[in-house]
Amino acid sequence: MIIMYGLSGCSSVQPWEKQNLAKPEMTFEGDRLDTGYTEHIYSSKEASSGGAGIGGGGCGCN
Amino acid sequence: MIMKAFTLKKVKVGFITLVLSLGMSPNAHALGIGDKVADFSLLGKQGPVKLSDSAGSVVYLDFWASWCGPCRQSFPWMNEMQAKYSAKGFKVVAVNLDARNDDAMKFLAQNPANFTVAFDSKGQTPKAFGVKGMPTSFLIDKSGKILSVHLGFKPADKEEMEKQILSALGGN
Amino acid sequence: MESVPVKNTSKKSRVFGALLASAAMLLPSAKNALADAAPEQAVVSMKYLNYHDSQTGDTDLTAGMSKDRMTVNALSFMGMVPIAGKWSVAATFIEDSVTGASPAYHGWGFPEDTTSGASGDLRHAGDLNVTRYFSRGTLTLGTSYSQESDYKSLGCSLNGTLSTESRNTTFSFGTAFNSDTIDLNKEAVVHKQADPGHKTVFSSLLGVTQVMSQNDIMQMTVTLTHGYGHYSDPYKNYDLRPGHRNMVTFMTRWNHHFDGPNGTTRLSYRYYSDSFGIQSHTLDAEYVQPLPKGWEITPSLRYYSQSAADFYVPTGDNPRDPTPVTGLEHYSEDQRLSAFGAFSYGIKVRKELGRSWTADVKYEHSEQRYNWGINGKGDPGIPTFNMSAIQVGLSRKF
Repeated sequence: MIIMYGLSGCSSVQPWEKQNLAKPEMTFEGDRLDTGYTEHIYSSKEASSGGAGIGGGGCGCN
Repeated sequence: MIMKAFTLKKVKVGFITLVLSLGMSPNAHALGIGDKVADFSLLGKQGPVKLSDSAGSVVYLDFWASWCGPCRQSFPWMNEMQAKYSAKGFKVVAVNLDARNDDAMKFLAQNPANFTVAFDSKGQTPKAFGVKGMPTSFLIDKSGKILSVHLGFKPADKEEMEKQILSALGGN
Repeated sequence: MESVPVKNTSKKSRVFGALLASAAMLLPSAKNALADAAPEQAVVSMKYLNYHDSQTGDTDLTAGMSKDRMTVNALSFMGMVPIAGKWSVAATFIEDSVTGASPAYHGWGFPEDTTSGASGDLRHAGDLNVTRYFSRGTLTLGTSYSQESDYKSLGCSLNGTLSTESRNTTFSFGTAFNSDTIDLNKEAVVHKQADPGHKTVFSSLLGVTQVMSQNDIMQMTVTLTHGYGHYSDPYKNYDLRPGHRNMVTFMTRWNHHFDGPNGTTRLSYRYYSDSFGIQSHTLDAEYVQPLPKGWEITPSLRYYSQSAADFYVPTGDNPRDPTPVTGLEHYSEDQRLSAFGAFSYGIKVRKELGRSWTADVKYEHSEQRYNWGINGKGDPGIPTFNMSAIQVGLSRKF
């Protein structure tokens, strides 16, 4: 986190320079139904779960 | 000789700028609305566009870009306002901030603008005006003073902004 | 209106004009707060999933243990509506049906009747989220549920974001609560009991998203989870797990846009550790490449490695026989708690259809092997596990 802050000090991006940051693939959201399926599949077949967000549907897997 | 004179002028101008900025800085943060705008000269759809061209009109100065969603929503409204109030001395000046002019032209082909459009791909005017988000619009009265600053564009804001335009036109 | 006399229209003069302008004109304070706005358009989408897994006995030890396992067909819907630029409501709904079987212990012990166990089952799940957009942040209240014949889960969550004025730094925070009820009286349950099992889980999240350049954005998130209740798998033999599970997850993500090809790499790393003794690393990479005529292709790769749970009991000489667990306080012969590594590859293709519709197709394949992990020795008696999934989706903007 400290590294990120240090690096961010180098350049501050102005609101009118955000043409690429505005693209959907540059955000951290994504295809909600796609990630829903993918995360459910992997957390059902692996011991780990979660990471990016909380509050999704209950897994129903033990 | 000409070069020396030019450099001297540069230094003079630079010095004046410094003095002005120093002189103004204590007031810079205390004031907001009520500041006088300074002129700029940019390329438009046909020839240069200067803010001073609109002296004596109420100006809605809008900063927009092709990649900004709310900007797309604001265009029909700005067309409507320009048509409705141009006879009363109202002028929309929309400054495009796309780094690539092609993107701006493609946007304008799909979202026609019946108002003045200027292009600032280098981003000098938004810096000077302190633009904090996209889009940002400044409502400027006939004497060149800023009446209000509006960040973003939501359909729910249209009513309030039209009221402000009306009062600016009726006021002076 | 003050005006700078411009002697000529050269670039230099314009710069001077601008400089003087910035000196003469004072920066107006942002009296109207910076708008963190709701999305401009409503979206409705649906997606179908076909999933299939199997195991392959491709070593001397696991020869003859190849088997088709589970198939899942699922259909999900999502709708999102912005309201007055200040609110948005999003809901998802999913129905999935599972057929086939999973091993009762390790990589064996398949039930004779394939409709028993946690299979031949229909599950419904949904969630509803309401988001309020403020000047420099958001607040989201969420509720979720999942229901199948033997398992019910209810949850609620509160998530928020707070950005700096430049919007280049965004802090995120969240907290969630989940309550599960497990029917332990079903036919196929190993140790039946009349009273249902319960599981309660609390999680919280803290994150930072930072714009690094015009083409770079990074995010770091820490998630802490504390759960207690019934963790054992009711359908697995030889499965008695601790009554609590604490987890910590650290995730970092980085998106980078390439101006040349106009493509974007999306990379992520997740470290996971829990009180079961599991540690894992997950590396995800995908590359989004827009193509002419509204096409977009995204190949992806994933690597996963996990250690075994402290109480995992490995296979013995014969991987088809369960291992005795006498004298152990906690034990599990569930292969998902063994040490292994997995490689996945995937490809997704999207196409814009007109102004409002988008169609997408995704294929992903993953393979787990006991010796592909970097978190300790795996269990050679667990056959190679394969899974593949196809998703087909359609989406419309309003």
